[in-house]
Amino acid sequence: MSDTDNDAGSEGRLTRRDLLRKAGAGAVAVGVAGTGAPYAFAGPLRFKGRDLKGDLSIIQWVHFVPAYDDWFDNTWVKQWGQANDVQVNVEHINNTLLDTRAAAEVAGQSGHDLFMNLHPMAAYEDQVINHASIVHEIEAKVGKIGALAKASTYNPKTKKYFALSDNYVPDPVVWRHDLWNDVGESPATWAHVAKAAPKLKANGHPIGIGQSQEVDSNMALIAFLMCFGGFIQDQHNRPTLYTKKTVEAVKFMTNLYKTGEEAAIFGWNPASNNNYLYSGTASLILNAISATRTPEAQHLPFADNLWIWPIPAGPHGRLGLEHVMSCYLIWKFAKNKENAEKFLADLCIAGRQATDASQLYNFPSFPGAYPFPQIRKAAAADPHKPHGKYTILTTIAEKYTHNIGYPGTTNAAIDEIFSKYLIPQMFAQVSQGKLSAHDSVRDTMSVIKDIYAKWRKRGKI
Amino acid sequence: MTGARRHKAFSYAVTIPFVILLGFPFFWMAVTSFKPEAQVYDPTKVWTFQPTLANYGFLFHQTDYLRWLRNSCFVGLMVVLITLAVALPAGYALAPLSGRVGRTMGVGIFLTYLVPPTLLFLPLSRVISKLNLEDRLWALILVYPSFTIPFAVWLLMGFFKSVPQELEDAALMDGCSRFGALVRVVLPVSLPGILTVVIFTFSLVINEFVYAITFISSATNRTVTVGVPTDLIRGDLFNWPGIMAAILIPSIPLALVYNAFLNRFITGFTGGAFR
Repeated sequence: MSDTDNDAGSEGRLTRRDLLRKAGAGAVAVGVAGTGAPYAFAGPLRFKGRDLKGDLSIIQWVHFVPAYDDWFDNTWVKQWGQANDVQVNVEHINNTLLDTRAAAEVAGQSGHDLFMNLHPMAAYEDQVINHASIVHEIEAKVGKIGALAKASTYNPKTKKYFALSDNYVPDPVVWRHDLWNDVGESPATWAHVAKAAPKLKANGHPIGIGQSQEVDSNMALIAFLMCFGGFIQDQHNRPTLYTKKTVEAVKFMTNLYKTGEEAAIFGWNPASNNNYLYSGTASLILNAISATRTPEAQHLPFADNLWIWPIPAGPHGRLGLEHVMSCYLIWKFAKNKENAEKFLADLCIAGRQATDASQLYNFPSFPGAYPFPQIRKAAAADPHKPHGKYTILTTIAEKYTHNIGYPGTTNAAIDEIFSKYLIPQMFAQVSQGKLSAHDSVRDTMSVIKDIYAKWRKRGKI
Repeated sequence: MTGARRHKAFSYAVTIPFVILLGFPFFWMAVTSFKPEAQVYDPTKVWTFQPTLANYGFLFHQTDYLRWLRNSCFVGLMVVLITLAVALPAGYALAPLSGRVGRTMGVGIFLTYLVPPTLLFLPLSRVISKLNLEDRLWALILVYPSFTIPFAVWLLMGFFKSVPQELEDAALMDGCSRFGALVRVVLPVSLPGILTVVIFTFSLVINEFVYAITFISSATNRTVTVGVPTDLIRGDLFNWPGIMAAILIPSIPLALVYNAFLNRFITGFTGGAFR
């Protein structure tokens, strides 16, 4: 075959060389076009040509309400740094990576001056300073620390504050009023949820309570358990999971999954239930108000139909958990402890600004910093529909929000149980048909007992 | 239908479903990267497509994306160089060792590749801290060869075994030193294997996440794998178009390189298989 034939034969065909050339040109075009698009970004805070006396490094999550991070990074930190002559460096990472990061910093005995996590990391008590002096400093300005924050960060056995909580987040049930109206129900109690779930699922809108190894499933299922009278520990921090009530709760949730949920809940991450709601699929989730703020910001068609209520009541009552317990801690190996302590104290004293910046997502751990009546007033002024829907948050915060480990305190054993996702695992094993409810609870109790024994031996419980 | 045509039709019937299956994610990624963010979240507009370059603008102007790319490339290139510098002589030295000792050493080296980073990051944190490399790209450059070198040695060992001993002997007979024989005779015929190591090492480094998130925290030192989930997932809000754009951009040159060296890449992987 001649070259001419070759050429003729290849006419209109795309050779590999052509493909490479065209794809390369396309990539360059997209890149160039992208760089030309308009922008309005101020960039991260930097004190250029600084002559500041101190430094402070902070690592914390990427807040679920972006407006909070904007305030924190660009207003609060900037003002505080200038007022205190300190170069503050804030790094945000995805919330799912905070535990890994903490483990690495402890292993390396080196890291940030302030480390924030979404749950109290009681297991690191020996690695952190006693935060009591900061608590007392704040109390002198705005009044006593809230009971929830104290139960979450204070170890009565060692008499040490192993963390300092600046805020917590109420955990309401978020539900689609239009979809529930269609089936003539509302999620006032878990019995109502169980009754409505099959109808909602049949209409293409299942319930969205996760049973996965992630924080939202953890929170939702521990709170659910409490509504049925099942508790991980008692008020004396002794394990009490293995009871008839716990078994009944697991059976109830298994039935709820089978009739009203989808298998995807076993593989969820912390954002999955939110995205399930945003996609228009979910009819109910347990989540903080980021689940309503995002649809409002994105102008999703059902945003006005998202209602928030307290957790449904169970046979034992209406017992909820915080959704997030924002806790900062200062490592013993931190290089700028004094700056960290001052920063934390000032942040907590400025609880009002922080709560407003979070669009009522954060509630101050020191209630005196922003008293409930004032928060209620701010919530009532929220313009989103249905008007006044956020006022219920203060009721939820005051009456139905408890610490992890309630009725006891949050301790190292609770931290380990929480971090290992033992409760979601206990539920999932039954829902997936791997174990009976009784066996799953018994096995989990066995693991939990060992965890308590370990921490008791170490003198932390 | 002639035999040749039938064969061709059969080839297409087998290939086309694979092409669709493997190509669809890229197609979806490309389409989503040009969609407005609100459209992606609105369930009533799943099939609406109003292309925009805003997501690319966001990436380039409102994030440190170019810096992440530059960091990834820098770390990738350095690790490739270190890997080649260690794996080439190691593979060459191990290749002629036959019998139990040689096999055991080869397997031993490869086994270190199988230790997961999720276990290793804790002790390595200590090492990085002692060396004062926290939050520096050099931490990654130091750590990544721990998994790229074992694989590269194992791969090159197999490849060097497939090079006829007679070629090297002839070079030695002609007056070459051992090093000269390696450089002038063995390496040129081993080019597919070396290219495979380069591409594979670079891909491993570009994709690595656990060490990058553990040892790097500041926004300026992030690599693409850390920058994307950190800056493009705001809490529960995934910036899907931005994420898709951020992934699409490095995918294109990588796909082009794979495509350009496809035949050599296959030869590289199968080089030591038939001896």
